[in-house]
Amino acid sequence: MEETLYREVEEIVEKYKEEKTPLLCVLQGVQERFRYLPRNVLGYIAKKMNIPASTVYGVATFYSFFETAPVGEYVIRVCKSTPCHVQGAFSVLKALKRELGIKEGETTRDGKFTLEVTSCLGVCGVAPAMMINDVTYGNLNDERVREILALYRR
Amino acid sequence: MIEAERNQVLLCAGAACISSGALKVKEALWREIQKHGLETEIRLIETGCVGPCNLGPLAIIYPEGVFYQRLTPEDAPAIVEEHLLKGRVVERLLYQASPEERKKFLREIAFFEKQVKIALRNSGFIDPLNIEDYIARDGYMALAKVLTEMTPDEVIEVVKRSGLRGRGGAGFPTGLKWEFTRRSKGSEKFVICNADEGDPGAFMDRSILEGDPHSVLEAMAIAGYAIGAKQGYIYVRAEYPLAVERLQHAIGQAREYGLLGKNIMGLGFDFDIEIRIGAGAFVCGEETALIASVEGKRGMPRPKPPFPAQSGLWEKPTVINNVETYANIPPIILKGAEWFSSIGTEKSKGTKVFALAGDVNNTGLVEVPMGISLGEIVYDLGGGIRGGKKLKAVQIGGPSGGCIPVEYLNVKIDYDSLKELGAIMGSGGLIVMDEDTCMVDLARFFLEFVQDESCGKCTPCRIGTKRMLEILNRIIAGEGKEGDIELLEDLARQIKASALCGLGQTAPNPVLSTLRYFREEYEAHIREKRCPAVVCRPLFQAPCQHACPLGIDIPAYVSLVKAGDYVGALRVIREDNPLPSVCGRVCHRPCESKCRRGQLDEPVAIDDIKRFVADYARRERITLPVVMEKKREESVAVVGSGPAGLTCAYYLARLGYSVTVFEALPVAGGMLAAGIPAYRLPREALEYDLNQIKAMGVRIECNKALGRDFTLEELQEKFDAVFLGIGAWKSLPLGIPGEHLEGVVPALDLLRHINLGGTIDVPRRAVVVGGGNAAMDAARTLLRMGALEVNVVYRRTRNEMPAIPEEIEDAEKEGIIFHFLMVPLEVVGENGKVRGLRLQRMRLGDFDRSGRRRPVPIEGGELFLECDMVVAAIGQKPDLEGFASGLQLDYQGNISVNPYTLASSLPKVFAGGDAIGREATVVHAMALGKKAAFSIHQYLREGKEEELETVIQPEKPRILEEPPTVKEIPRVRVSETPVRERVCSFSEVKLCLSEEDARHEAERCLRCDLEKILKKQENQVLVEEGAE
Repeated sequence: MEETLYREVEEIVEKYKEEKTPLLCVLQGVQERFRYLPRNVLGYIAKKMNIPASTVYGVATFYSFFETAPVGEYVIRVCKSTPCHVQGAFSVLKALKRELGIKEGETTRDGKFTLEVTSCLGVCGVAPAMMINDVTYGNLNDERVREILALYRR
Repeated sequence: MIEAERNQVLLCAGAACISSGALKVKEALWREIQKHGLETEIRLIETGCVGPCNLGPLAIIYPEGVFYQRLTPEDAPAIVEEHLLKGRVVERLLYQASPEERKKFLREIAFFEKQVKIALRNSGFIDPLNIEDYIARDGYMALAKVLTEMTPDEVIEVVKRSGLRGRGGAGFPTGLKWEFTRRSKGSEKFVICNADEGDPGAFMDRSILEGDPHSVLEAMAIAGYAIGAKQGYIYVRAEYPLAVERLQHAIGQAREYGLLGKNIMGLGFDFDIEIRIGAGAFVCGEETALIASVEGKRGMPRPKPPFPAQSGLWEKPTVINNVETYANIPPIILKGAEWFSSIGTEKSKGTKVFALAGDVNNTGLVEVPMGISLGEIVYDLGGGIRGGKKLKAVQIGGPSGGCIPVEYLNVKIDYDSLKELGAIMGSGGLIVMDEDTCMVDLARFFLEFVQDESCGKCTPCRIGTKRMLEILNRIIAGEGKEGDIELLEDLARQIKASALCGLGQTAPNPVLSTLRYFREEYEAHIREKRCPAVVCRPLFQAPCQHACPLGIDIPAYVSLVKAGDYVGALRVIREDNPLPSVCGRVCHRPCESKCRRGQLDEPVAIDDIKRFVADYARRERITLPVVMEKKREESVAVVGSGPAGLTCAYYLARLGYSVTVFEALPVAGGMLAAGIPAYRLPREALEYDLNQIKAMGVRIECNKALGRDFTLEELQEKFDAVFLGIGAWKSLPLGIPGEHLEGVVPALDLLRHINLGGTIDVPRRAVVVGGGNAAMDAARTLLRMGALEVNVVYRRTRNEMPAIPEEIEDAEKEGIIFHFLMVPLEVVGENGKVRGLRLQRMRLGDFDRSGRRRPVPIEGGELFLECDMVVAAIGQKPDLEGFASGLQLDYQGNISVNPYTLASSLPKVFAGGDAIGREATVVHAMALGKKAAFSIHQYLREGKEEELETVIQPEKPRILEEPPTVKEIPRVRVSETPVRERVCSFSEVKLCLSEEDARHEAERCLRCDLEKILKKQENQVLVEEGAE
């Protein structure tokens, strides 16, 4: 099992071998495949790319989109920036916490949802907004939140 | 073969519209099109952002250009059958400019009228996934021109001459940047596009990338040619997956068409572009941090110089520009530098894309020429403030920027004018904020953001902003101290001077900016533990209570009404408000404007519930036993028995002092008896409240006027302290010729005369000049006195009238005729009497310092209104004749006082209410009277040895229960006397709620107070349990 894991990582590293300094690309590729960046994988990448492990770890922990702990199937990112804040992002977050039964940074016990708070998503015209994986949802309120979660729970 | 399409349907597929369901609409449309077999005749296109996000999903149908908005999948059949098949426009989907008017075309809509699209020229007009669309609109022509007709130096010359400045925020001249990079030595150079748009509230770049990706590619190739680079990178933030997708597709197509890659257009020029995706770090929008990120490192900036132009990506000379900057390049090349520099202001050329967000009606993207005023953007393009609230400030420049308050709505938007006001252009995010925004909370918000995003490399940013944030958190939690503001300013200065990169250097800006324009708000938080916008939760138990100038414990009494304990409710009210019968009728209800219920359906009718309690008590003849602290020997004189004076007397009496109130008129009540007419405040109601105050031992002596019957010096001698609550009884003159004629009356004199039982020569036709409560009272009184026609003339529009909205509505219902945007020029007379009023028509011009548009005369727009009475109600100030010597006044003629103690310039003398010129409402005057009472108490107790009895205020009775389940219930409707009945008499217009209605309404209260009380109890239990 571990073997195939490392082989896939190796493939990803290979894919970018012609690029100059592709560490971020590699990490993004690995995260897309495995949903997060396991610690041992980081060490493996360091070895394969001939970069100090501390550097790789430093990069992985610097960027907020890199998850160094396992996340749920769906990562919910609620925007907390000013326009969303001014339009009620706080109650949207409260509603999500209530519906999912978890706090920010936590994952539901069934492994389905991780709840995170993020910075501006760039859809301020339909504030308050959130992203679930790659999909953006705007014009949120208690009701919409329930509707949207229902879609994913099916 | 060119298919002859009959129609093209362009559906906005920007990220915001997609999140509103645009793709579902598209699917539904396509299904309908297929159903009718129209696939070859109708082209359905997903286009880029059209602009008005709040109208999405939206579509434009060509060739006519009809604009449909707020679409749902259910609208698809109508669009296809009615419009596409039968050619009939679907009216209900058109934009509704006003209740009567719908607009068909974009160019007719105010949101689009003032826009000039350069960077957004293609967005909304083409299919971003189809390179042929881009080419058909002169796409890649600029690149062709550059490669065939121009040298690199010539290209740079054109860009320089155009005056284009970086649109990412700093505004550095683009041509210059290209020139520096060109001059740098080195064979390998790079072109980077900074698409890491992280500013909260900014989504301009996103729309360009999603709607017109080729414009960026073409511009980068041009830049590459100009500086001598072969490779470009676009660094897109991870939050924009759709933009990445569209860019990737565009790059693929461009390569296919030979417009990117090796030997572009066969002209021997190599240039290729790759995408690098960010990973969620705002700081990577800073150019050196961005470069570090592409280099596979932590996104930490490095000191400049060297600038990227000399040493950038992999230490090679690099041009980095913002998306919007690039989007301007192809038109500049094609249309020329002169064309571009003819738009905008002297130092800021061209247009700017702004993202309108926040409390404005029309959110979305607008592209306007530099030099447009901020007010035009907010009101003409943005459609004004949502929900009819008042504008407070506009945030520009995100976390690096500042706020612009209403006084500066006239500012012409350009790089330099904004800098002068303490803001920056920034990337273009404009966040509009209404009166429910707390500026301290806003500043804290931006600092939290900076703390989150700070890379941590340099101490000033990493630790400095943290210290600033701690101070702000303390202030918001109610633990602000004197000196905190100065500390914030000091820290800000240091951080600005020493931080490594732009993020840190500009991080203190929002704090400095809010301090500059809203210092009093910070001071209220620190000194009074008060949040004027009622936002900072730690400072209040319930928002209604905090908004009430008297601090009445509203949830407590509302819960008691719900339970049927009206006496208990009355007790709670009288704790903080000695005039419940009065306030229950005439208060302007600041509590209701902050009632959280209003976010669900409508605010609770708090004031009507209060009136119910007061009227119940009066009917049942309930007098609450008088609560007096120890009897004290000092005595206080109160001049004026209006709301301020009465309240001051009440609290002084409660504190144990002997109080004598001197009233100039024959009856007590001040404005309450002689200003506000009986149909709003009946005498019996006022009498009941007055009697309660007299029952405390307060002496009210009528027909005793200061100046006429006694002097201020005498009071200072005979009493230990004096409170002046003399109101503002002098009407301001109209200041026009003819004012001396018989029939011209000041509003307050008229009201006083009539309210005290006097008679007048009833006019046939009266004109009241003014738009405040005094004007409404005068107009409605004249009607009841028998005037045949009553007109009101106001210099601005209905929306801007300062009178309580209910009063204006009631006046309209009663048949009073309103004339807006008119100003009196002259009172015309005959035989010494008024014959009519000459008026000037006005229109709305530029914004003035109150944030409203200043009325400006219309050339030749004069008219004449016949009348036999003119009433002046354009303002009032205190009547200080005969006794004001020694009393310091302010520049408006009001009594000047210390804002915290309300002490005047004379020893022992305090003042409050309308006389000191503040807000001029009943409840504010009462609050000042209350404040003065405690201030006088402190003054009298100073230096006196007294055991400080800590009076433990008993917890007010309230019903503790689970907060109610939330479902929409409409607010109770207050019954009124029918119009026909009420215009002939002074009987009360608004009637009291029935007991059933009052209790039902009380159930709507969300009990915001329980949150804190229950938590406190919880903690106490925990503590007790812990102690065990």
